[in-house]
Amino acid sequence: MGTAGAHGATATLASPGVVHRHHWVVRLTHWVNAIAITVMIGSGLRIFNAYPAFAARGEAFCCWPTAGTPIPESLTFGGWLGGARHWHFAAMWVLVVNGLIYLGFIWLHGEWRDLVPRRGFVRDAIAMTKFYLWATKEHPRQGKHNALQRGTYFAMPYVAAASVITGIGIWKPVQLGWLTALMGGYVWARYWHFLAMMALIVLSVGHVFMVFAVDPYSLRSMLTGGYDESLSPESRNARPLVNLRPPRAAKVEAPHD
Amino acid sequence: MTDRDSRGVLATDDAARGMGRRGFLRTAGGLLVSGGLLAACNSEGPQSAQPLLDFAERKNELLERKLFRHRSMASAPDGMRAAGDAFPGYHIADEIPTWDSEVNGAWALTVGGLVRTPLTITLDALMVLPRVTQRVPHFCVEGWTAVAEFTGVRLRELATLAGAHPDAGYVDFTSFDEGYHESWDRDSAEHDQTIIVYAKDGRLLSPKYGAPVRVHSPVKLGYKNTKYLTSVLFMAERNGGYWSDKGYEWYGGT
Repeated sequence: MGTAGAHGATATLASPGVVHRHHWVVRLTHWVNAIAITVMIGSGLRIFNAYPAFAARGEAFCCWPTAGTPIPESLTFGGWLGGARHWHFAAMWVLVVNGLIYLGFIWLHGEWRDLVPRRGFVRDAIAMTKFYLWATKEHPRQGKHNALQRGTYFAMPYVAAASVITGIGIWKPVQLGWLTALMGGYVWARYWHFLAMMALIVLSVGHVFMVFAVDPYSLRSMLTGGYDESLSPESRNARPLVNLRPPRAAKVEAPHD
Repeated sequence: MTDRDSRGVLATDDAARGMGRRGFLRTAGGLLVSGGLLAACNSEGPQSAQPLLDFAERKNELLERKLFRHRSMASAPDGMRAAGDAFPGYHIADEIPTWDSEVNGAWALTVGGLVRTPLTITLDALMVLPRVTQRVPHFCVEGWTAVAEFTGVRLRELATLAGAHPDAGYVDFTSFDEGYHESWDRDSAEHDQTIIVYAKDGRLLSPKYGAPVRVHSPVKLGYKNTKYLTSVLFMAERNGGYWSDKGYEWYGGT
């Protein structure tokens, strides 16, 4: 294979082919973030259910066809409006502080280079999409993260920031009224906040699906940091739900590193 | 103003589910915060997280009070109509509360507590005090907003008239709606847009909207804005409120 260096390997762990993929700060902030976002979405949906619409009273709202239909209670968290608000306004600090630690760390430690879309991003993304759609045979080799992953991981902090800022606009529509006004007022701030959450859900669900459907072995790298290159999607030529099992000659290939 | 979830019912429900969750929590350890969510959706979360939530509420209140500016004014967005009769009206009594002067005598507002001169102000007397009319949004804790034009007297005006003591950091607004009340920080109470309202959209308040008099301010969430007002009490300590005591945050600022 001979691409371990390009894959961002910084140390070789016990068995051959296993590289150290994620710093412990990245792993810790990843899981704290997963919990914080889950709590924020669950409690946010419970808050939404207290008034599952966007229109100001006595007004119409253009862009929400299911006004009045609540989110299924089983998808919500907090139990009741007040409880959900307490969770929301507590977990928001976990989300923000953890997010700042993560961003500060990848900025200072260099991981941002693995995440920022680079030259040829669109071409690479098209190549990955074609492969997943069976239009090409071989898994493209695009380094530690392929272009679709880069796009997702790069977008995540922006979408999260959008959800935090729109949330502040809802929380303080008078004391920070200028912020709320930037979003087109309170009604629109709520709407953008909801759309930002939906974008977070799309990115997260896509991410989790791909972890299990394409690269379940990467779970290890987000838990212990170790990643077995011989089990990578490139090694298995893995498409979603295809070639999930380790390749037969995996252990033989490993010494290439 | 708020939904009608009963905390009592939910607590019982929660206890019944608690056993299955306990085993999980032990392993979750420091990540306890998420435990309730993973084990049971639509739950209030683990009871053991309550101190953390209370801590966050206290810290948030400190921040919110630091953010508070008397100069920050709410204004209804251009082009947004007054909600008129679409403006919801809540009360806690079974029926819309009305002041029965046959039984209770003529309505009057008392201003008391830590004041130099306790006041009893009739509706007529209130209406000759300096009048403010403002077209402002109302923010409900549920998430809806509504615009109305409120007319009344600034609370600050009454504080000055009564000679409210500087040590009175809190103000309680009490009603004849089965004792509904909410207490506020003095800063919010003396915001320019906090008014003792007797007219909405150019007409005297109807019973649905808190007749004869209510407090209204866009700087507080709806549930802090006591309707069917009977007394304004200046206090050294806060004394909670109807929804605050049921678990909604006490500060409720916007």
